[in-house]
Amino acid sequence: MSETTLLGRPIVPGKAVGPALVAEKPLGFLGGVDAKTGIIIERDHDLRGRIIKDTVLCFPHGHGSTVGSFVLYALAKNGLAPKAIVNSAADPVVVVGAIIANIPMVDGIDLTKIKTGDIVEVDGGKGLVKVFRR
Amino acid sequence: MHLTKEEERIYDGEYGWACQISMKILVKLGDLYGAKHLIPIESAHISGISYKTVGESPIEFLKALVDSGGKVAVKATTNPSSIDSNNMIFNLLPKELVERQREIIILYSCMGLETTLTCTPYYLERPKSGSHLSWAESSAVIYANSILNSWTNREGGPSALASALIGKTPNYGMHQPENRRASILVKVDASLDGDVDYGVLGIYLGKIIGDKIPLIRGLPSDEERLLKQLGAAMATSGITPMFHVGRSGEEASNIEEKISVDEECLKSAYEILSSPLEEPDLIFIGCPHCSLDEIKKIATFLEGKRVKPNLKLWVCTSRYIRDRAKRYVGIIEAAGGQVICDTCAVVTWLRELGIESVMTNSAKTAYYVPLMSNVGAMLSPLEKCIKTACST
Repeated sequence: MSETTLLGRPIVPGKAVGPALVAEKPLGFLGGVDAKTGIIIERDHDLRGRIIKDTVLCFPHGHGSTVGSFVLYALAKNGLAPKAIVNSAADPVVVVGAIIANIPMVDGIDLTKIKTGDIVEVDGGKGLVKVFRR
Repeated sequence: MHLTKEEERIYDGEYGWACQISMKILVKLGDLYGAKHLIPIESAHISGISYKTVGESPIEFLKALVDSGGKVAVKATTNPSSIDSNNMIFNLLPKELVERQREIIILYSCMGLETTLTCTPYYLERPKSGSHLSWAESSAVIYANSILNSWTNREGGPSALASALIGKTPNYGMHQPENRRASILVKVDASLDGDVDYGVLGIYLGKIIGDKIPLIRGLPSDEERLLKQLGAAMATSGITPMFHVGRSGEEASNIEEKISVDEECLKSAYEILSSPLEEPDLIFIGCPHCSLDEIKKIATFLEGKRVKPNLKLWVCTSRYIRDRAKRYVGIIEAAGGQVICDTCAVVTWLRELGIESVMTNSAKTAYYVPLMSNVGAMLSPLEKCIKTACST
């Protein structure tokens, strides 16, 4: 087991642990994630078909409609939200979404240091991301 | 960010969850973009109303805001919805869609937003020059900054709504004079002839200038209806919140980056945007929504003519303008056209209404409808659109 600690910028406070789901491409929530199933449906996305529920969702940044913030809220209401969000450079759509859905969030993280399936602990108040790998 | 005592109390939840969550959004955005404090706004304009565009996603959040007593603190207007509930043609749509759209509109009105359902709130009440706003709807943002000299960032639906509930916005970006100066000089070396050419120039520029603010030289006219097309298009293909055309005496001498646009650039941009159509199903004017003057112009073209029976002509505007244009509306409808309010061809269900191809004078529409509704689009000047619509 290896353990790496990454320091980013605190965005939304809160602590969470979960398996990482790491995307190479930016993610648009409106039209990109189905709020009724939590499945990524964005066309040509490298995580298309994956479920985001209870993961630590890692992606470079959001893109597309600002209404995407509301999709994050709807996901949380439906019990399908990720446990935490880690971005390389946060954009307002995802930031506002994480605030209203109360999902711990950190940005400024080098996502090449995290692989899908790693267990990740996020401290959104301190901007800390701990990566545990077997 | 520095908060006043009152703002801190809102942040801590003393005024309920709706105000608290709105304040948290504004403070976090302010922190991210380096704002030092919040400033009062004259009005907010909220996007994300059309059920066709946003679907179910906002309903849960809006309900929670309404349940915790969320009420606007300033004048707040709303973008178009996906239907005109006073027009029979929308009866073709499934009842369920119409009901869900109505639910969204009701949730916004419960919070005291004016259900203006237009992308041109500036035709209802022109914001004061120098006033601060929190507007979403990219075409209204660029119009406010560039033509009205009202100051707003390019907000999204959620952040504009948060500002509406608090009555303030974080002071960064376009609210600061040093960020409103032109940073790229655009020399137009092509002859522009009317609405379509201005729109195509906008689409071309939006793609290449990023978030820079252009000073555009060489435009033959600075008529507001043409600048509306230019700005709406620029904000569609790009993210810039403002342009200059030299009205405010902006100087070109301090700008280092310079580009020029020739006929070839515009021709290739036009060819990407517009697909040739034998005969469209719909002729659509009103993106962004028509002004009173534009409706008058269309009525003048249409007087004594008749729209072909196999074609639809839609003129889209706000209900406010329609009510003030009764005489012209009469002429357009007598000719067989429709003056439609509260929606437009971009945010309604075209295919469900039997429309597979659209001719329009709006570059923004030509850019969006193939993507959003999978219909063909042809870009033609207003005069040609009306000519195509009519048999005599």
